[in-house]
Amino acid sequence: MQVAVDGPWSPLLGRLTLEAIPYTNPILLFTFAIAATAGIVVVGSVLYFRKVGYIWREWLCSVDHKRIGVMYMILGLVMLFRGFIDGVMMRTQQAIAIGPDSPGYLGAAHGYLPPYHFDQVYSAHGTLMLIFAATPLLTGLGNIIVPLQIGARDMAFPYLNAVSLWLTVAGALLCMISLFVGEFSNATWVGLMPFAELPSNPGVGVDYWMWALQISGLGTTFNAINIITTIVKMRAPGMGWFRVPVFTWVNMATAIIGVTAFPVLTAALAMLGLDRYVGTHFFSAGFGGNYMLYINLFWTWGHPEVYFLVLPAFGLISEIVSTFSAKSLFGYPTMIAASMGIAGVGWVVWAHHFFTMGMGPNLIGFFSAATMIVGIPTGVKAFNWVFTMFRGRITLATPMLWAITCILLLLVGGITGMMLSASVVDYTVHDSVFVVAHFHCMVLVIGGGVFAAVTYWWPKVFGFKLNETLGQWFFWTFVAGSVLVFVPMFMAGLDGETRRLDYLWDTSLRPLMLLEVVGIAVYFLSVFFFLAMIVVSLAKREPAEQDAWGTGRSLEWLTQTPVPFYNFAVTPQVHALDELSWRKANGLEKAQPSTYVPIHMPSSTGLPFIIGMLGFACTFALVWRIWWLAGASLLAIILLVIIRSFDKNEGYVLPAETIAAAERNLSTVSVIAEQSKVLPVGGHAEAH
Amino acid sequence: MAAHNDPLAHPEVRQGSVLRYVAGTVLSAGAMYFAYVQSQGQHPVVQLLEILGGALLFSLVTQAALFFGLDASRAQIWKSISLILTVPLFLVMIGISVWAFASLYNRTMPDPAIMNSMSM
Amino acid sequence: MASFTKAGADTVLWNPGADAHDTISARTYGFWLYLLGDALIIAAVFACYAVLNNPLNANGGPLGKDFLSASKGMLQTFIVLGSVLSYSLATVALKRGSKLGVSLGMIGAILLAVVFLGIGLGDLAALSAAGDGFARSGYLSCFFTLILTHALHMGFGILWMLVMLVQVGVFGFTENVVARLLNLRMFWQFQASVWVVVYIYVYLFGGAH
Repeated sequence: MQVAVDGPWSPLLGRLTLEAIPYTNPILLFTFAIAATAGIVVVGSVLYFRKVGYIWREWLCSVDHKRIGVMYMILGLVMLFRGFIDGVMMRTQQAIAIGPDSPGYLGAAHGYLPPYHFDQVYSAHGTLMLIFAATPLLTGLGNIIVPLQIGARDMAFPYLNAVSLWLTVAGALLCMISLFVGEFSNATWVGLMPFAELPSNPGVGVDYWMWALQISGLGTTFNAINIITTIVKMRAPGMGWFRVPVFTWVNMATAIIGVTAFPVLTAALAMLGLDRYVGTHFFSAGFGGNYMLYINLFWTWGHPEVYFLVLPAFGLISEIVSTFSAKSLFGYPTMIAASMGIAGVGWVVWAHHFFTMGMGPNLIGFFSAATMIVGIPTGVKAFNWVFTMFRGRITLATPMLWAITCILLLLVGGITGMMLSASVVDYTVHDSVFVVAHFHCMVLVIGGGVFAAVTYWWPKVFGFKLNETLGQWFFWTFVAGSVLVFVPMFMAGLDGETRRLDYLWDTSLRPLMLLEVVGIAVYFLSVFFFLAMIVVSLAKREPAEQDAWGTGRSLEWLTQTPVPFYNFAVTPQVHALDELSWRKANGLEKAQPSTYVPIHMPSSTGLPFIIGMLGFACTFALVWRIWWLAGASLLAIILLVIIRSFDKNEGYVLPAETIAAAERNLSTVSVIAEQSKVLPVGGHAEAH
Repeated sequence: MAAHNDPLAHPEVRQGSVLRYVAGTVLSAGAMYFAYVQSQGQHPVVQLLEILGGALLFSLVTQAALFFGLDASRAQIWKSISLILTVPLFLVMIGISVWAFASLYNRTMPDPAIMNSMSM
Repeated sequence: MASFTKAGADTVLWNPGADAHDTISARTYGFWLYLLGDALIIAAVFACYAVLNNPLNANGGPLGKDFLSASKGMLQTFIVLGSVLSYSLATVALKRGSKLGVSLGMIGAILLAVVFLGIGLGDLAALSAAGDGFARSGYLSCFFTLILTHALHMGFGILWMLVMLVQVGVFGFTENVVARLLNLRMFWQFQASVWVVVYIYVYLFGGAH
């Protein structure tokens, strides 16, 4: 039944042996030293400050959408850093390994990374950046902001929300552990077929990559279901569809992609898994398999996934441009239509990732035209932002700087995208670094949007603003680094440099490669300024106003700062698209509810965390083919889900007096505060 | 809310009806039987595809309307809308994949008849 | 937006208690979204099946038209629809709050599902025994996966029904139990709809050409 694999296998440990630990590789030893130090510092400080109980109760067991969102963001930032280090390795390798006379170190013929290792580095870079950095960062922002913007108490399914987070964490853990136990995939982040099949790739690298994607994809799908249900069912009274803030709208569009596209990835990876584990022949070369079928399915998910990532960034830019222009968003209905249009058209463009397959002129024409159509709603958005700024009172605070830069980057990325959508151009530059530079411009829009949003909403969540000076230093170094890395990359692409090269024969590319390394150095500076910004701001902690930027427009600025764990003491009635602006215009922004009623809250539970960790155990066991462990943890998950369904805990009720007291002393109920014990209720809550 | 206090009073519970379910089963099974009988006859492929597709569509619509109880009522409207938005994606994914690979096979693969005779 | 309404003396700014939403509707809707996602997983397998149902992908082995029996499939279809009807009648008994009616309906649905799985899995076992197992060719891989994906859904449905039989007995019709029974009904109907598509496309259309 199961496919025989090379090398030793034991029933207890599967393929896992001592040789799987790469203790001979100096680069990985160095990485391990750093990771271990960081781990010891984190765990040590938690123990030293006696925060184990706090971390467990208030964070790991939390079902609060804001805390889950913050944990998503932390995960995303950590993974962003690791992905960045992968990028650094690629850039330095390519700067060294140029031409036959280039030196080789650490056992490599050229540069310091042998081809097999280099392949893993770029595969990890892509996987981490898209799946474990960009996705959690944006999911986290959606988690924090969407319920606040629609005046909801929490997500529709708080428990499922926590499960989604911990499944994503499980995937990230799988990627991290692949550094020190075994290896990562060398078949790129998309999984090249039939190269990722067992006969050509018998190691565990592809399995790590496959299961990491699979388990985090599950988390993302659940999260998308949660977001849609929340937006459809839990908007505050008075919030009709045309009063829904634009960031919530784009999250709706994104979640639609999440529910519809991610299952296709699940299916594609499941089939790859069947090929690798039980010996089916979906994507085999030979045996009646068809490996282009995998590429087809992968991009059926993969292209909508691109818009899954970029649409929230568009929403962030919309919110920020409007707030810092002190004007309502220009063309709000067209913005919604454009978001939905991009989500819809995004579903019929996937084959432009493999124009060169040989599918014939009809299909290429179809996909080429469909791809060009994406430019229309995107252009609508860009013009709407510009018209929003036009005659607005613009404040060039850090979030606004990021947002404006995003618009410029979108222009560069978008126009090169239009070039690539023309199949004749694509045939010429297919798989060149021109394409790489193009999509990095787009993911920089995402990155910029996220940094803008973090600066923008930070005071809402934590109660104090980030340091403006260091924020601007971070911004300018980041932008300079981006220009220095990606402008030369466009040029190298047009000069014919193909992607994924561990060695460049063409010595004329050396100046460009060196320029890119300078860019990477500047990026390092920006990382330093980012960390400095966080540290300095944490140390200062000047309390922010309820409406931290003074020009906030939507509902999230109506609640207290920092947001109490129950969000709104009393659910607001919505009268306009920009509710806070409406209240300001009527002089009502200071109005407070006169009476409080008890609130029904969900109880914290450690089960999602345990399920996530069991998911990690199960997938790790599958990677190493430790069948007993995989079976046991899967069974444990199923049993836990069943046992939980017999649990009668229906949450607890927050009495009106507690809320009134909390509203007077907000620091005790903020996101980072320890919450007091409240009585759980059995049976039905009268509070409803 | 009333529905909240007595779960059995929820509109989705009240929706159940013997008549609808029996009718749904009979119509759906009938469509399948019709398709079965037709598939045993000698129809050209395109015509058979139309007949089977019609029977399938009829059966699925019956199930959506009578079993899932999809309609434009307040309780069900969002399910109906979600389904309507998703159906094109099924068609796009399956249709375009078939189109792409039929065209790819036409352009790059040997005629199966020739290939079979070669391998025999 | 342009339409600016001025606040008056009677403007309501706060809605105490408005956060209590209809949880049953939220849960059935969330589960409905899950089903749509699940349907896309199956659609992806169908897309593969449509591509691989080709002599080029048979690796010299059989295609569906060589071994599928449309009449046996018809019998299976009737059994699936009967199982769904049985569970649906259980939800009619739910209206009356009848534990007995709900339990009987579920037991009927389970029994018919077990018969269905017996026939289906028996066919696959016979096919494997004849040397045409899933590892024979790309086509057979996809055929087995398609049938087993549906069977896996049925298996989970049966497990879920067994759990619900216990919960109906232990808890009666609480909000949680009712929401789960409604979701389970959608799930059970969903697998039947999938089977209907499998039957038409794989057994009838694939069998005839």
